[in-house]
Amino acid sequence: MALSASVRSLGVRVSRLRAGGLGVPPGVRSLPVSPQVLACSRELPCAWRALHTSPVCAKNRAARVRVAKGDKPVSYEEAHAPHHIAHRKGWLSLHTGNLDGEDHAAERTLEDVFLRKFMLGTFPGCLADQIVLKRRANQVDICAVVLRQLPAHKFYFLVGYSETLLSHFYKCPVRLHLQTVPSKVVYKYI
Amino acid sequence: MCQISYVKSTFGLASRSERPIRRKALPPRTEKMDVDQDWPSVYPVAAPFKPSAVPLPVRMGYPVKKGVPMAKEGNLELLKIPNFLHLTPVAIKRHCEALKDFCTEWPAALDSDEKCEKHFPIEIDTADYVSSGPSVRNPKARVVTLRVKLSSLNLDNHAKKKLIKLVGERYCKTTDVLSITTDRCPLKRQNYDYALYLLTVLYHESWKTEEWEKNKTEADMEEYVWENSSSEKNVLQTLLQIRAADSSGAPSREELLGTKEVEDYQKCVVRLKNEGENEESLAQYKESVKRLLNLECSLN
Repeated sequence: MALSASVRSLGVRVSRLRAGGLGVPPGVRSLPVSPQVLACSRELPCAWRALHTSPVCAKNRAARVRVAKGDKPVSYEEAHAPHHIAHRKGWLSLHTGNLDGEDHAAERTLEDVFLRKFMLGTFPGCLADQIVLKRRANQVDICAVVLRQLPAHKFYFLVGYSETLLSHFYKCPVRLHLQTVPSKVVYKYI
Repeated sequence: MCQISYVKSTFGLASRSERPIRRKALPPRTEKMDVDQDWPSVYPVAAPFKPSAVPLPVRMGYPVKKGVPMAKEGNLELLKIPNFLHLTPVAIKRHCEALKDFCTEWPAALDSDEKCEKHFPIEIDTADYVSSGPSVRNPKARVVTLRVKLSSLNLDNHAKKKLIKLVGERYCKTTDVLSITTDRCPLKRQNYDYALYLLTVLYHESWKTEEWEKNKTEADMEEYVWENSSSEKNVLQTLLQIRAADSSGAPSREELLGTKEVEDYQKCVVRLKNEGENEESLAQYKESVKRLLNLECSLN
């Protein structure tokens, strides 16, 4: 009750001033006083519970396929985590931008992102694995492994369409090389 | 799209005759290839790895436990790496044959390095950069380095010393090469013209003698000069004192300077100061001092 009395007294003091017609002097705000502040000030006793935490240590989830019961088929690319790059895996995109003293790495990366999205959309459900992008001088070679979902003439159309569209878009020769497989090549089951 | 209409047809008419028959995939071309076929026509240009066109049983990949590396069909690792299947020795020989028509003979008169240097004393170094991407421009390609040996330029003693002082660090004493590097202009052509202009200006300026060059002090000298030096004065003073003590008559300075011992001593001192101290120069100095002061001892 002493708590509420002090709070009320604060409020009453200010409201009396207001009622008295004097008004609140400029610069004075009536602060809402919280119970925690009152408790920390050690004037009034009250119950106080603390929560103990330690720093968070999150697991790495990048480009890793989580282990299942032993029935999930994964390809060589999916089975190896990013720390295997340059040890058991190569690079999916080859260009000179990331070499020492060379420029325009960001532009090449942006082009790569667009090309991957484009291929994913143009060959829906047909791509067996990630696209491999190779750049030689100004031309771009897109190498893709596709499943035999579509009849051959449709594949030919899509190849011609993508090559023309991308060449006009990027103003440099873009070539598409497809390799068909009967089904997704499985490296292991995890 | 086309895909959706295909699926619809199977829903409506499920009988095998109505469904469009899917052709079986043909066997790969490798089975029909001869052993002695013309390989450069299979891979005429740089192309990605085609497992159906390369008749080699290549495997690539980290094997699973108690397994083997993965086969070439659908192998992404083989696609990722650059291959040189288009650069077999046969293909390279054909390229050279084709390029021969565009080549000319090396001039027969320039058969040694000295002749090349004599007729073409100035050497220009430039670098061109190739990278992957739609742009051909590289700002590093504008740097031009001009190298010339000072012995091939027509400079007298004063001009050579003045030129070396003007260029400073750009002259290398051991190889006698002056190298001027220019990159202040945006184009390579402009930097080349600027480098030649600098060389011309340096040459003409070093031949001129300005008023203030008369004030050159001993500290400015590049190498040790014996005339009018303290060593000369000391030697002459010492020899005069010796001769006066012998009371054989005081010879004049010119006579003393003309004697063989003093000339020998001069050469040794100049050598010591210019070349630095090493075994031979110190030994030579010792011998010349002994001869100068007639200290030939019969011991060793």
